[in-house]
Amino acid sequence: MNVTSKSERSADYKGYLGFFAWAAFYFAARGLLELDTLGWWTRFAVAIVPVPVFAWVLWNVSKGIAQMDELQRRIQLEALAFAFPLTVLLLMTLGLLELAIGLNPADWSYRHVWPFVFLFYFAGLARAKRRYE
Amino acid sequence: MRNRLKVLRAERDWSQAQLADAVSVSRQTINAIETGKYDPSLPLALKIGRLFNQPVEAIFFLDDGASPNPTGAHHVG
Repeated sequence: MNVTSKSERSADYKGYLGFFAWAAFYFAARGLLELDTLGWWTRFAVAIVPVPVFAWVLWNVSKGIAQMDELQRRIQLEALAFAFPLTVLLLMTLGLLELAIGLNPADWSYRHVWPFVFLFYFAGLARAKRRYE
Repeated sequence: MRNRLKVLRAERDWSQAQLADAVSVSRQTINAIETGKYDPSLPLALKIGRLFNQPVEAIFFLDDGASPNPTGAHHVG
């Protein structure tokens, strides 16, 4: 049974919109940088552009959390409690594998690892929401 | 923990949304409390008690097989 209200769905919609806006900036920046045709300072600026966009997303997220009730905050906490150790496990394992067998940076650099953090968070969020529905 | 929230709400013909608005939480929270999947915090339980004009222990009770105490009165000895 869907028990979220219209205002809650509206807040979710804005949150997802902000996230996708940041994702668009990020992948546009990444696409430009992979062209390898830009000067050093331009490349630096392009790499930094997604940062204020993400900061804006985080500001909206913190506003959203401040408006959440106690169960919604508990769900967020359980999602983060699920995602954080998995993230640590991933980074630790990749670090050891890098020492043990050497990892190709083209396949396992920072830009390949961060999506897993979001994956773990959304998995944790789905798990926590299901628990209370 | 168990509760009589659904019964009390039905007696007043309130929807979950109406009850949620009255105690300033989401409908998801009211649903989770009624289905026993979430135990409210003390402030929320007190708000609910005040709304229904009943003591907290007349609405929420431990899941140990004991019956709820509608008056909330304690009997010692």
